[in-house]
Amino acid sequence: MIHKIDAKGLACPQPVVMTKNKMKEFSHIEITVDNETAVENIKRLASSSGWFFDQTISGNDFIINIKSDKPQVSDETKETITSFDNAGTTIVFSSNKMGQGDDDLGAILMKAFIHTILSLETAPSALIFYNSGVLLTAEDSGAADDLQALHERGVEILICGTCVNFYNIGDKIKTWALSNMYDILNTMNRADRLINP
Amino acid sequence: MITDSTPVYFAALFPSVSHVMKAERILLVEKLAIKIIPVPKSISSDCGVCIRFEEKLLDIIQTILNNNFEKVEFRKL
Repeated sequence: MIHKIDAKGLACPQPVVMTKNKMKEFSHIEITVDNETAVENIKRLASSSGWFFDQTISGNDFIINIKSDKPQVSDETKETITSFDNAGTTIVFSSNKMGQGDDDLGAILMKAFIHTILSLETAPSALIFYNSGVLLTAEDSGAADDLQALHERGVEILICGTCVNFYNIGDKIKTWALSNMYDILNTMNRADRLINP
Repeated sequence: MITDSTPVYFAALFPSVSHVMKAERILLVEKLAIKIIPVPKSISSDCGVCIRFEEKLLDIIQTILNNNFEKVEFRKL
């Protein structure tokens, strides 16, 4: 049975939360959303849960179908899997500056910090950007090439979509990395350690 | 396949981070492709940052920085 969710007009992270809740009960869900961030969020949710993902466009709306061929598992089992397959370091960029004090110095230090992540022996598992931290992910930030290189090495990059809209830099951001509070908190929660430069 | 397109980089080194900050501003106004990186350990064990750029920009960046700074050093990376 297909379960349908109308998530049009809802801001992040609501569409993804509604979808996640229904994934416990149904194995085929159709979600209608009206923005690309929601599409990317649900796509990430589907892939991290091992669900098949398909998307079509209808006018200004996106119709997403996600399916699972596995029997639905209980909550307890899911939690165990979630905490098992994740480890490592998550780096949280809550500002585009490193430390507090002089802003220009902080900006320079942060660029050098991000470049240095590339030389770590064990790459972090995820990088999270919110508030002015999202400015680091813009194409002209001076750090975008390093972030691209880290992404290619398999580092998960999560950028707060609300913050991107607030700073009005959506056209300078890779949409694959746009994320929401739900994913951000989940990633922090399951990390072995958090680094906040 | 090995390509020989890996760029050759140079670094501009300054006496202090304040100089790096000023130099970054000047070079960004000129829209030059530069990057702030930590000073490689092979050059200095001090904590510091420097400005990295591709070899093709060496002439123009040398000219600009030599005009603006008394002390700036260029090193091939």
